[in-house]
Amino acid sequence: MSDKVQVSIRNLYKIFGTNPQEALRYVLGGMSKADLLKQHGHVLGLKDINVDIKEGEITVIMGLSGSGKSTLIRHLNRLIEPTSGEVFVDGDNVLDYGEDKLRELRRQVMSMVFQKFALLPHRTVAENAGTTLGVRGVAKMDYLKEADKWLDRVGLRGFGNHYPHQLSGGMQQRVGIARALTSNSPIMLMDEAFSALDPLIRTDMQDLLLELQKELHKTIVFITHDLDEALKLADHLVILKDGFVVQQGEPQHILLHPNDPYIEDFVSDINRARVLRVRSIMAPLTKGLVPTDTHGEINIDDTLESMIAKSGGDTSYTYLVTRDGNPVGTLDMSSLVLALVPRVASEEGARQY
Amino acid sequence: MATYDPLFNILGLRNWCDSGSAGSTPASMADLLVSTGVDKETSILDLPFPSLDALNEACGAFWQSRDVTTGVEGGFLAMKDALRVVLDPLTQPLSWILEGALYLFQSTPWFIMVPLLALVVYFASKSIKLVGFVVVCLIGLAFVDLYDHAMQTLAIIFVCAFLCVLFGVPIGIAMSRSNRLQRITIPILDMLQTLPPFVYLIPLIFLFSVTEPKLYGIAIILYAIVPVIRLTDLGIRLVDKDVIEAADSFGMTDQQKLFGVQIPLALPNIMAGVNQTIMMSLAMVVIASLVSAPGLGVLVLRGIRNLELGVGLVSGLAIVLLAIILDRVTKAALARVNAAQKQ
Repeated sequence: MSDKVQVSIRNLYKIFGTNPQEALRYVLGGMSKADLLKQHGHVLGLKDINVDIKEGEITVIMGLSGSGKSTLIRHLNRLIEPTSGEVFVDGDNVLDYGEDKLRELRRQVMSMVFQKFALLPHRTVAENAGTTLGVRGVAKMDYLKEADKWLDRVGLRGFGNHYPHQLSGGMQQRVGIARALTSNSPIMLMDEAFSALDPLIRTDMQDLLLELQKELHKTIVFITHDLDEALKLADHLVILKDGFVVQQGEPQHILLHPNDPYIEDFVSDINRARVLRVRSIMAPLTKGLVPTDTHGEINIDDTLESMIAKSGGDTSYTYLVTRDGNPVGTLDMSSLVLALVPRVASEEGARQY
Repeated sequence: MATYDPLFNILGLRNWCDSGSAGSTPASMADLLVSTGVDKETSILDLPFPSLDALNEACGAFWQSRDVTTGVEGGFLAMKDALRVVLDPLTQPLSWILEGALYLFQSTPWFIMVPLLALVVYFASKSIKLVGFVVVCLIGLAFVDLYDHAMQTLAIIFVCAFLCVLFGVPIGIAMSRSNRLQRITIPILDMLQTLPPFVYLIPLIFLFSVTEPKLYGIAIILYAIVPVIRLTDLGIRLVDKDVIEAADSFGMTDQQKLFGVQIPLALPNIMAGVNQTIMMSLAMVVIASLVSAPGLGVLVLRGIRNLELGVGLVSGLAIVLLAIILDRVTKAALARVNAAQKQ
């Protein structure tokens, strides 16, 4: 994982309505979303979005419906034009692109996976998976070979000659993912890709995505309304509310340090033991001294859930935390138990959002 | 003394009225009756609607209703020659195609034609049962000596339906891409669809000679092209927005999108339009026998003219049989398209 920023969104505004430029002036003057709608009949879709998407990471954009997340992802490949702002991909401002360069970007650099799959019903699974190459003018023989390779990879070996309607929802979305992978583009946009699937299949698909990502290191922008899914997948989490970014950062950090009642309310419902990892709550070694009275060694990326199982629920234990076999800190089981309690769970009124 | 005399007097148009050639326009039957009859007591209940004729009674210089029809006629006749110069060469190929198709269908011996049609039906429907039905129907028609007439009708329908699709689909596509074009086209389509079929023939008779095949060819095409245009437009507009968005996100060009996504997904609707177009051509080809279109319609016409009840009814039933064949075959083809793209 490098630290190179591949996609960078700067001061992005999107206003829906008949005269967005005029409405933008009111918004810049500080008018709220509700007032803008009431007084001028314009909808503020996105407000001053600044997000850096790093190469090889999964950036998850999370928000409830109407928070503007699907609008935001469509700005990256300009399926929606912004009212103002900039989107840099590999240093180039996408908004300066002409029609040809934009088409080139969509063909070579970004591929997209959709909530409703959006497969072509009249083409076979293999032809669908090869669409992204076929569009570039690759001969059918060649793109079918490449498509078959990726269909294998997503677990659809032997389904190439079926038609989409013969497959279940989960399998159709696998085709959708294979289609995006076949294009070999470095960036993948996933718009609520797993939201239409039932919970078990969704977990399967999340595992599949993480497994693929371990190997391919794509830059993935993933949209979801499900915090569990977001925490499971995200390297970088962006939380949207009413069209602006409430908080963004490392998911564990957001979970432990929510900076907004809206997010606190969100995270209080989460099974923290499964999401939090040892690294987030361990105490670093004091002066590099490795304590000798620990009850065993644990990995820095273990979840707290596995720790509870390992200790048998005994809160008096202390473990030595290692990364790649080297000791880096200690974990006190009593601090683990404290970390499981959300900061504001007991407070009345936190749920008003 | 006519009812509306005071109107013209008040407007001060009396002089203009009398200077008009009050007596020179030919008197209608009503005028004659009035001039011979006695003045009756008039009540308010008898107040005539101020129509052209009623006003003309009061003011001789005013137009009569018949001036409207003669005006239209005069206008059309004045345009006719110029229209002919443009339309005649433009539509001449239609005559050639129709003559060629009629010659081809009639000169091919029945023992080649019937298997050939069976083959076409098989490729369209992939159903042996339907092929059997069509063959039995054709043999039945041939058995009562209606084969030649049926082939003439079929030849005309094939040519006209093909041309309808050839022009109708592109027009429908253009309509689906431009809201303005759709707004302009829809009233025209409405007019073409609601105009009584006989009315199509009236201006065409003046434009072309009755012996030319293109006369009925144009009438059939104008009448039958409407559904294929409408349903192509509708079909393309109904294509799933998500799929279109996906096509955009892969960087498809407009052309790739049209031929790779929109037309294939609109195909069930377009095929439904083709089915309707074929059925409407069949309806029109019977009426077109009034202007020398050959085929089964001629026999129906003979049945009416000469009161030959049997001839009229048998050929009428033969038309029904042809309609069933055409409908079933196109529907079977449509069902195959539908099955291939269930969502």
